[in-house]
Amino acid sequence: MSNPHFVGVETARPDAADKVSGRTQYIHDLAVPGMLWGAIRFSDHAHARIKHVDTSAAEKLPGVEAVITGYNTPEVRIGFVRDNFALKRDKVRQFRDEIAAVAARDPETARAAAALVRVEYEPLPGVFSLQEALAPGAVLVHETDAKGRPRKDNLVPVRFAHHSGDLEAGKRASKHIVEGEYRVPLIQQSCMGTAGCIASFDTRGNLTLIAKTQIPFLAQKDFNRALGALGLEGRNTRVVVPALGGGFGTGLDTHAYEYIAMLLAWRTGRPVKILYNREEEFAYLSPRQSATARIRQGCDANGKLTFREIEVTQDNGAYTSWGATFPSVMLVPATSLYRVQNISFESKIVYTNNTYCQAMRGYGNPEITWPIESSMDELAELAGLDPVEMRLLNSNQPGETTPMGLKITTCGLQECLERTAAGLNWKENRGKRRNVKRGFGLAGLINVAGGGKIYRSDGSGIILKPDDYGNVNVSYGGVEMGQGLHSVLALTIADTLGVRPEQVIVNQTDTSTCPWDVGTHASRGAFMACNAAVMAARKLKARLLEWAEEIFPVEVEEALAKARKHPGFKEPDFDWRGNCRPGCFELSDGILTIKGAPAVPELQVDFARLLRAIHFRRQGGGTTFAEEAFYEPPTELPDWEKGIGNMSATYAFGAQGVEVEVDEDTGEVKILRLVAAHDVGRVLNPQTLKGQIYGGLAQGIGYALYEEVLTDKGRILNPGFTDYKLPTAVEMGFPIDVQLVQTNDPEGPFGAKGVGEPGLVPTAPAIANAVYDAVGVRIRELPITPEKVLKALQEKRRR
Amino acid sequence: MGYDYIRPASLEQALSLAAQGESALIAGGTDLLVALHKKKRPAPGRLISIRSLPELAGIRDEGARLRIGAAVPLADLLAHPAQARLPALAKALGVMGSRQIRNVATLGGTLCNASPGADAAPPLLALGAGVELAGPAGRRTLDLAEFFRGPGRTALQPGEIMTAVLVPWPGAGTQSHFLRRSRVAMDIATVSLAACFGLTNNRLSGVRLAAGAVAPVPLRLRATETFLEGKALTDETLAEAAKLARADVAPISDLRGTAWYRRELVGVFLARALRAGNGGKP
Ligand SMILES: Cc1cc2nc3c(=O)[nH]c(=O)nc-3n(C[C@H](O)[C@H](O)[C@H](O)COP(=O)(O)OP(=O)(O)OC[C@H]3O[C@@H](n4cnc5c(N)ncnc54)[C@H](O)[C@@H]3O)c2cc1C
Repeated sequence: MSNPHFVGVETARPDAADKVSGRTQYIHDLAVPGMLWGAIRFSDHAHARIKHVDTSAAEKLPGVEAVITGYNTPEVRIGFVRDNFALKRDKVRQFRDEIAAVAARDPETARAAAALVRVEYEPLPGVFSLQEALAPGAVLVHETDAKGRPRKDNLVPVRFAHHSGDLEAGKRASKHIVEGEYRVPLIQQSCMGTAGCIASFDTRGNLTLIAKTQIPFLAQKDFNRALGALGLEGRNTRVVVPALGGGFGTGLDTHAYEYIAMLLAWRTGRPVKILYNREEEFAYLSPRQSATARIRQGCDANGKLTFREIEVTQDNGAYTSWGATFPSVMLVPATSLYRVQNISFESKIVYTNNTYCQAMRGYGNPEITWPIESSMDELAELAGLDPVEMRLLNSNQPGETTPMGLKITTCGLQECLERTAAGLNWKENRGKRRNVKRGFGLAGLINVAGGGKIYRSDGSGIILKPDDYGNVNVSYGGVEMGQGLHSVLALTIADTLGVRPEQVIVNQTDTSTCPWDVGTHASRGAFMACNAAVMAARKLKARLLEWAEEIFPVEVEEALAKARKHPGFKEPDFDWRGNCRPGCFELSDGILTIKGAPAVPELQVDFARLLRAIHFRRQGGGTTFAEEAFYEPPTELPDWEKGIGNMSATYAFGAQGVEVEVDEDTGEVKILRLVAAHDVGRVLNPQTLKGQIYGGLAQGIGYALYEEVLTDKGRILNPGFTDYKLPTAVEMGFPIDVQLVQTNDPEGPFGAKGVGEPGLVPTAPAIANAVYDAVGVRIRELPITPEKVLKALQEKRRR
Repeated sequence: MGYDYIRPASLEQALSLAAQGESALIAGGTDLLVALHKKKRPAPGRLISIRSLPELAGIRDEGARLRIGAAVPLADLLAHPAQARLPALAKALGVMGSRQIRNVATLGGTLCNASPGADAAPPLLALGAGVELAGPAGRRTLDLAEFFRGPGRTALQPGEIMTAVLVPWPGAGTQSHFLRRSRVAMDIATVSLAACFGLTNNRLSGVRLAAGAVAPVPLRLRATETFLEGKALTDETLAEAAKLARADVAPISDLRGTAWYRRELVGVFLARALRAGNGGKP
């Protein structure tokens, strides 16, 4: 392809103006005629038997159309291992368990009625920590599995592990070994737009669900299965995705509230909307898992890594979402961040009576990069090496295959580390500013960047349909949730096809019009969408240029005839007739011409005119166009128990470094500047790319310093932004230097890699390493609050 | 959620409306409306706005003291030349909420709301401020330290309205400092501390200290004040004072911080405030 005109150029995203001016319609803005409002009655206990549910008072409230419970609706099983129910019967296992639901004429009535539902419980003792849940004879959160067989412990029945090389030999070969236990807290995805949906049925029993989802097609499958439970086998769910105010992983599963809206709509025969407010979002939607990881790592006298041993235990909460499979992604950094042989990785996913958890951006990677990159610094110190030197010595290189079987094609890790260090004047600064309590820290990352195969297909389909006016309508099954997917789709299609980005219109995602896509997660959106788009645009272009052989001469003759009427017209000095072959045409910026032709209007055919001439072909036999393409990346579904398989078509690397100042009296950590160097393959749109990195950094900083959902015996104590703290503009008010390392990946569209998640992956260990450099204390539990730092400083002084 | 909203034209009218009960006074509404929305207080029959009462407006230099109308928005006070003479107060007001909040929130509102963590309280306590109240039984003034009675509880009698805050001008050579920690910006304080004192030849005089978010009410640190009065500002004095201050307060552990951390910070802030007297970084 010739030099792109649009890819790589800073371009305002197509949805920006509508979002800024308030015209974008989110689920909050949508209403369907005749719509009722749903509200849910949640559990008052973390663990209890339900003895009786009395809905009579709720039913009597004027304006109430239906009250449903698990006892008067068909059983709808949901969840990744089908251990959850839309409405609970017999037992509640967490505070947010759905017991009853109401459909009413307005949300206030619905909520008031839900509160009138009377539930009698028999409270049961619960398990609220990993220790309690794993103790011998612990109370069982689930007494039976999905098939009704008795369970003997609180372990979720999925296993992710990896053992390669010879661990003991690795330990023997080690000069230095470090060991530590690291914790990450429960955190909230904190989408600006809260959760909600509208469910409606046609008279034949087909469901339309307007859903805040990142997986429209897997959701369709889930809901079609649920239709079966209603006796509606063979009926279909149409999933329509409205504009999303952020997803961050909350849309990777289907949720009980969506099935409840479906049940209420079926019961009432009217559309039903359920919308969470902020407190409900905090209390009743799944946050990101808390987890504990033990790590042991060693190196030889030269600093070469000799082995790595990790055990992760993850608090699943009461039910299982896709997020339980975080360890599948932890395998990537555990086995493949830096060159290390002799690896052991084991994971446990544990049921508790805490709120059940789900996916969030990074999907296990930040959780595990946190211990790995903290302990890399500890190891470097023991080996007497500079942390950057230590990492460069062990850096991944292009062309290698890692113990997990990941095929590293392009790899910018070394350059990212070097540029991060350079950006901080590492050599002059690190370890030398303790007198002023300033410290420098850095951490690296690896992340899937060409999809992440966790399902039978990791592919994406796309349809390009030009119209008579020169617009190219795009139907794509992935989801724009604020990340800028539609922007990069427009740029890649414009450049591949030869039109202007404004001519590319990306339609709303809708399972009835878009081809299948596995979901927008794992940093795969732009990589998949744009690969599919390039394939489809090339096909479309080839067909158009075939037609051009017939159309172009007719259109040009006509234009020339018209032009000749003007006195003084000069015939173009170019043999265009001799060059009317597909290989000689050029379609660029929405203009069809012949390569090498002088730029005169008579020798140019507008894209729209070309399409119309084909459609309304004078001699008959005209046609319209649509081209479809399906991109399936060249990857493998790993064997999870062995932890082997090349799950992504390419991998992203990066490094982040910070300078911090620590107040030794108060324990406060202040970030003074940050450098983020990311191997992005190739920049598609600098604006949306930097947006992904800035946003990731803000989340990474929140994870590192501020965010934590606090609970007491399963009850969430800070359900709102009053006491759940995100960094504000003030905390983010330091210089950020983003360095884009372009490695031009052969499998990437235009060379691009996925960039959605890396921005938040290494932030926390970089900060912890900088805190250590500043004041010599190592914090192993996120968030790094002033209290933890002050306590650690006092302990250090006492020692 | 809807309320009758009444805007009396005079203090007299407001007092007679308030005397009928079943109502709540609303100034800026930044505390009240949040509490009502979150159902943290019972819904009143009606809201009586005191925002534009002329008797509660204006900032006036009365010679020995500054009289600040109870309904004066924080932003107006911050824009007034008087704030230059009350740096600790200005600093506290400057971190309250955001600009939007400061444009509507009033000084009387934050005092009558009586949050233990109200930022304006410690500097006003340390400045020795008083409050002027009007009620069915007439007018009275009260030392601010007598005004706070517990979280959300004040000395206001039913039907009483705060009309003004009275701040004696600090004497020549008096310094005032304010320190505060919160989890992030736009957050309620975890700990705050204000100090007023004179320092001549390294000797402390007229020491008045107050801390916020470390007890059921914003608190004068009397024992620490007594200890410091007349002392030379030395490291030993500071260490001893920090110890006393930590004993003067009675913090709880909550979502913003533990009692341990709050005690630690009271000592740290006290030392920093006093060191600032010698040009240290507060
Ligand atoms: C987003 C946000 C951020 C905030 N940040 C801070 C902060 O950083 N620091 C801080 O200290 N506060 C903060 N606040 C709290 C609040 O803004 C202040 O306490 C404010 O000054 C209250 O004033 P107001 O005029 O809005 O009070 P209102 O809400 O109108 O009234 C508060 C209470 O006082 C009573 N009342 C008001 N005026 C009188 C009067 N003259 N006589 C008798 N009773 C009266 C009312 O009946 C009510 O009970 C914040 C609030 C919000 C919403």
